[in-house]
Amino acid sequence: MTQTDPRMAELRDIVAEVLELESEELTETGDFVADYEADSLRAIEILARIDKKFKIEIPQSELPQLNNLKAVYDAVVRHSAGGA
Amino acid sequence: MNRVVVTGLGPVSSIGIGVSAFTDGLRTGRSGISPISSFDASGFPHRNAGEVPDFQPERLLRRIDAARWGRSSQFAAAAARLALTDSGLDPAAVEADRVGAVVGTTSGESVVVEAVTAQQVEGGFDQMDPDLLGQITAGRLAHAVNTELELTGESLTLATACSASNYAIGYAYDMLATGEADVMFAGGADSVCRWAHAGFYRLGALTADACSPFDRDRSGILTGEGGAILMLENLDQARDRGARIYAEVLGYGLNCDANHPVAPDRTSIAECMRMAHRNASIKPEDVDYISAHGTGTPANDSVEAHAILDVFGDRVPPVSSIKSMIGHTMGAASGFGAIAGTLAIAHGFLPPTINWSNPDPALDRLDPVPNTARTAAVRVVQNNGFAFGGNNAIVLIGAVE
Amino acid sequence: MTGVVVTGWSAVGPAGVGRAALADRLAGAQVAVPTTDGRTVLAEPAPATPVEVTTLVDEPLPTLTGHARVDFDVRAHLGRKGTSFYDRATALAVVACGDALRDAQADVNDTNRARLGVVLGTSLGSFRSTSGYTRDTLVQEKPYQVNPVLFPNTVMNCAAGQAAIRYGLRGVNATVATGPLAFLDALRYGSNAITCGYVDAMLVGAVEEFSPHRAWVTSLTGRPGQQVPTGEAATVFLLARTVRPDWTGPYPEAEILALTTAYGPGGGAAADRALTGCVRRAVRRAGVDPIEITAVLTGETEPDDTDEYVPACAALGHQPTRLRVSRLFGRCDAATGGLALATFLAAAPAEAAPTLTLLTARSPDGGTAAAIVRGWFGAGASGR
Repeated sequence: MTQTDPRMAELRDIVAEVLELESEELTETGDFVADYEADSLRAIEILARIDKKFKIEIPQSELPQLNNLKAVYDAVVRHSAGGA
Repeated sequence: MNRVVVTGLGPVSSIGIGVSAFTDGLRTGRSGISPISSFDASGFPHRNAGEVPDFQPERLLRRIDAARWGRSSQFAAAAARLALTDSGLDPAAVEADRVGAVVGTTSGESVVVEAVTAQQVEGGFDQMDPDLLGQITAGRLAHAVNTELELTGESLTLATACSASNYAIGYAYDMLATGEADVMFAGGADSVCRWAHAGFYRLGALTADACSPFDRDRSGILTGEGGAILMLENLDQARDRGARIYAEVLGYGLNCDANHPVAPDRTSIAECMRMAHRNASIKPEDVDYISAHGTGTPANDSVEAHAILDVFGDRVPPVSSIKSMIGHTMGAASGFGAIAGTLAIAHGFLPPTINWSNPDPALDRLDPVPNTARTAAVRVVQNNGFAFGGNNAIVLIGAVE
Repeated sequence: MTGVVVTGWSAVGPAGVGRAALADRLAGAQVAVPTTDGRTVLAEPAPATPVEVTTLVDEPLPTLTGHARVDFDVRAHLGRKGTSFYDRATALAVVACGDALRDAQADVNDTNRARLGVVLGTSLGSFRSTSGYTRDTLVQEKPYQVNPVLFPNTVMNCAAGQAAIRYGLRGVNATVATGPLAFLDALRYGSNAITCGYVDAMLVGAVEEFSPHRAWVTSLTGRPGQQVPTGEAATVFLLARTVRPDWTGPYPEAEILALTTAYGPGGGAAADRALTGCVRRAVRRAGVDPIEITAVLTGETEPDDTDEYVPACAALGHQPTRLRVSRLFGRCDAATGGLALATFLAAAPAEAAPTLTLLTARSPDGGTAAAIVRGWFGAGASGR
């Protein structure tokens, strides 16, 4: 469950920092581009930080789908399933 | 206002050093791309670039000691030396303080920055070589040209990234048009470096083997390097000395997207084209050929092509990108574009976009001059240059009427 | 005559943000001196004591002090959004651009933003940003593990581009990278863009950040025994035509009378001649009597350096007061010339009579430049 998985809080901090937000400003379904003025550079940097923190490589080809925090969390879960 | 003409060309490129080799490269659609040798690229998934491995500065430079100048300065000075030789100008026949240089660049002496950074990583900051630190400033690119050619006029380096050569040509045009100078060497220089290779790779903007602008499956740039300098002078002087006149600089336009540090802006680019046309007193239908910025990234080529369609309507001239041949030479890119455009006018041909296989259905009204150079009467060329920072610069070059 | 005036400006650096902070600092350093006949003249200050800068950086430094604004916080001026990935040079410059527009009382809106541009001077952009990026390619597990958001910082036009984004400035946007000459070259570039009609006004400035990288350059390349503290600053001036649109600001406070440049290949005596020629041409173009030039603000840094003052005096035929801003602000490279103009404008009390000054600059390879400025039309801090 997302509520209890500590990775959710860590992801929230990562995404908030890259998008220049306070963590509490970032909702799970807020759209990165429409609501938080994200761009492709920032999206790539979010993936890079996830790679560094969790050792999970999410391909850049998935970027178009990763448009909110929940989608990023789901991708982390999906890509860690095989290796965990 | 004086009219300003191009009377000397100095390309130092991966498809040829000197005007005849470069012209031949354009006409035959040569690729200058090769495996990277200037730095250890083994850790990168993509390992090709448009380096100039044949560049031997000591064979081209007469005055400056290559050992005291960084690679980009060497490119600038060598290109200027070639342009002077090509022009047939006797330097003694002009007042040296009315002759200057304006050199555009993206990364300046990047190779020197990387050398001292390697020293810093290995041994700490205090291990940086003071002699190399003395070579680190970007202003030396123009200073190298003045020193090599003993010019005592202007010596300006413009660091407006990947459109910098067009800025330089534009500023030189102003200096000549207003009578501030009699001869100007203008263009740009840059060197292949790790940090740009890494940055573009990280952005997902670097392709593996071949840059294919305007192709449906284009997948990014290849970094490149070199020096591209044009010798410009006022028309009356050129005629008086019986110079071979390649073409005329008709004017230029500059604006800024003021929107995003990296992403190009269609409306702003279209406005820059209109501004350049106004300043050059031409209409869109006068343009016979567009030397595109054409980096080969999906985003640039799409935005650039749509801006062109916005401005040119149903009469779109052929649009090709020489970056398909020489890669993205950064601050030198629009200088090479200007040289190619000048040669297109002088010799009546369109440089091709090589590596082109599939039309992009989204750009179906665009003729990218695929793969093979084409004979054509070219009277007016539009040379596009766009850059990080939203620095758009477009130069118009025309046959001398 | 260039026909270009300054309608407002800002300096961001060791003294703080804005003209009032700089004026306070200069008053303390006694840069402006009243004469017995009621005029104000400039005087060379005693070298200022640098401050401890260790809190600014994690890396080792050659010395623990410098002329930096240690408590500078870009968020305090511009907020968090859009600023977290600025490098220091960009942050200093963008804050200075905004403050200069405010100081000029410029009214920038959608009807004029395409007619307002920016040109900033630098030596090589942020050396810390480019070197740090390269460093990452060398020390990270994989060489491409670099931060994409920081990539634009490695390009020298970053500060000018970000200033345009922050304030919506869509006119000519340029960066000149000629180190010690950069501010005077930016003035020439900006004046040309205005007089050629490409824009109505230009923010013209120069910036240099304090960083361990620059501190080590100062330390490793300075003359032995003549170490000058490393400084930082961004200075920005709003330039417009003498006859100008209202939106560019109501008060001209200085007029740029002449801007000249020349190159002396190889430096040394050739550059001496180039600078003397520059000053001579500047005097001629300005149409002034050289005796009226009562101060020369030079970019000379090291204590026994007279490489600018001597060639300038040779052209002027007399020896005006010399003022080296490096004595107050350390080695500021590209920012030096802008600090000189800011110092000239901020030094005088509001009621001071107009006066002429000469600014000079010189690069090690032989580049030289000069400017003649008439200033003090009610310029002092209290005037705003």
